[in-house]
Amino acid sequence: MPNLKELSAKKVRLTGGHRMCAGCGAPMVVNWVLKALKDEQKAVISNATGCLEVSTCLYPYTAWKDSWVHTAFENAAATGSGVEAAYRAMKRKGTLKDDYKFIAFGGDGGTYDIGLQSLSGAMERGHDLLYVCYDNGAYMNTGIQRSSATPMGADTTTSPAGKVKPGKQQYRKDLAEIMVSHHIPYVAQTVPVIPGTPYMFDLCNKAEKAFSIEGPKFMNVLTPCPRGWRIDTATELEVIKAAVDTCFWPLYEVENGVYKINYIPKEKKPITEWLKPQGRFKHLFKPENEHIIKMIQEEVDRRWEKLLYLAKVK
Amino acid sequence: MAEKVLMKGNEAIGEAAIQAGCQCFFGYPITPQTEVAAYMSRRMPKIGRVFLQAESEVAAINMVYGAAGSGVRVMTSSSSPGVSLKQEGISYIAGAELPCVIINIVRGGPGLGGIQPAQSDYFQATKGGGHGDYRLVVYAPSSVQEMVDLIQDAFDVADIYRNPVMVMGDGMLGQMMEPVEFKEREAKQLPSKADWAATGLHGRKEHHVINSLFLQPEELEKHNEKLQKKYAEIEKNEVKYEMYNCDGDLDIVLVSYGTVSRICKNVIKMLAKEGLKVGLIRPITLWPFPKKAFEEVVDRTKYGFLSVELSCGQMVEDIELSVKGRKPVNFFGRSGGMVPSPTEIANKVKEIAGGAR
Repeated sequence: MPNLKELSAKKVRLTGGHRMCAGCGAPMVVNWVLKALKDEQKAVISNATGCLEVSTCLYPYTAWKDSWVHTAFENAAATGSGVEAAYRAMKRKGTLKDDYKFIAFGGDGGTYDIGLQSLSGAMERGHDLLYVCYDNGAYMNTGIQRSSATPMGADTTTSPAGKVKPGKQQYRKDLAEIMVSHHIPYVAQTVPVIPGTPYMFDLCNKAEKAFSIEGPKFMNVLTPCPRGWRIDTATELEVIKAAVDTCFWPLYEVENGVYKINYIPKEKKPITEWLKPQGRFKHLFKPENEHIIKMIQEEVDRRWEKLLYLAKVK
Repeated sequence: MAEKVLMKGNEAIGEAAIQAGCQCFFGYPITPQTEVAAYMSRRMPKIGRVFLQAESEVAAINMVYGAAGSGVRVMTSSSSPGVSLKQEGISYIAGAELPCVIINIVRGGPGLGGIQPAQSDYFQATKGGGHGDYRLVVYAPSSVQEMVDLIQDAFDVADIYRNPVMVMGDGMLGQMMEPVEFKEREAKQLPSKADWAATGLHGRKEHHVINSLFLQPEELEKHNEKLQKKYAEIEKNEVKYEMYNCDGDLDIVLVSYGTVSRICKNVIKMLAKEGLKVGLIRPITLWPFPKKAFEEVVDRTKYGFLSVELSCGQMVEDIELSVKGRKPVNFFGRSGGMVPSPTEIANKVKEIAGGAR
């Protein structure tokens, strides 16, 4: 268990002054991941197109203290692969002495959808790369369009809730499980650091573990977006807690194929606790949409039971 | 006359397509055209038509291939980097001779570029952005109203020639609001799709085959010759342009399209007060390029032509090929999302003409 004092004293590798929205979860996630590096460790970061990329590196300014690269939307994992391959060649020839960690950051649009092909390729080829998806459940950068990570029922500008359709019609893609199927050394699902919870440092622990493993690693981090979720910035971590407590977003990791659930709520809360605070689900609480909440609950239960089975909890 | 409504360019694109009978729209978010997809996601389900958000631009254009192959009116829209991703699909659609409409709300490039208006996709649109010998009809509207009208034409032209048609607006046209009227349109006599669309056999013995693969060189060459013949027909029939203030003897003729052509009209009025007679050729189809417009003025134009663009001279060579060395062709452009002021353009004109009169 890391010490908060020690962590706070560590080098900040994504500095302030960038243009992410007030209350955005993404820079929080990035900084906690990067805090899992030792201060003297060097990193190369590749970034998919998205809020994080566009708001942290307005050329010629940058908020990043590490080497950073961005190419087109679909290519964070491919570009990271290329840099890592070049690094290995340089190491082999002895032209580079220093050790580097390779990290890719992408939002859910750039990871679940358009970037899935390059992510899959990088994981299969076995690059020594940690891919971190900050999943806020929609294309927030272009103004809240649905992605395959958007939860069922959510109102977005391309899955609008109205008389004909009650928001997004599909369940979210289970990306962590897709990554598990690549049989890579490490896959983890987690949430930002939330003080006072039993899983406060889950994100840091997982990032630290990922950095200690050679080969391809993947982490999926549920990340609040107050604009897209229609929530008050002050309550965003409460909403994330609800995602964990309702088992909508279980905290688990799969190391060399072995599942481990990192937190099992004593009492699994009903899914409405996760849905209710968020404006994007407001319409689901109309009487005519009750059945959708029921469907969402059933799907969450189904996925949770499956996870318990895979982790041999019962 | 239909009612005039104030609409954002991108939303008007959606409505124009709906009015033109677009049955399927396949979109993907990218600034500055995302509102097209958002508008279609609200409107299409209400009228029993299809809106789908793809997982990438590549998927969206190939959904277009699928829907167009079944003979329905179909559209996709994107902005420059997204349209680059679509090029493979566009080449297949052109090769398989399928009708569809592609919207490109152009932003500055190359690479990630920016999100402000530009016209820097001229080459890509008019010279064949993907592989192979093919052409797109490319419309370049200069107002939201014209964009609406041209989208409706675009569906007809796509059906007549079984060819993809692109409507290319700059980011300014997509984002600005203007009054627009969705006019009652005369029903055009269009060729039936029944002899090629893949809609099931319905008792026929012969399958309809939609294809762009010809492994025998003789066959592929024959197919290409057929396409070229079609493109020659399009060049003969579909050229559109506007000539503004082009009567009598002229000092200079500006050539510009889209948003910039509106600025050029102001320049012409400004310079008239200073004694310069300046005309404007405004290509409405970028391909086929309005070569004949130049024939009308080339002998009456003292100092030649000035291409005014939101790009770095991409239209100049088409103008040179039209002028054929008879008069000088000059260039003034801004790029990267910069839009020139009338004064900037006027100064360039005065520089060429050796000052005001």
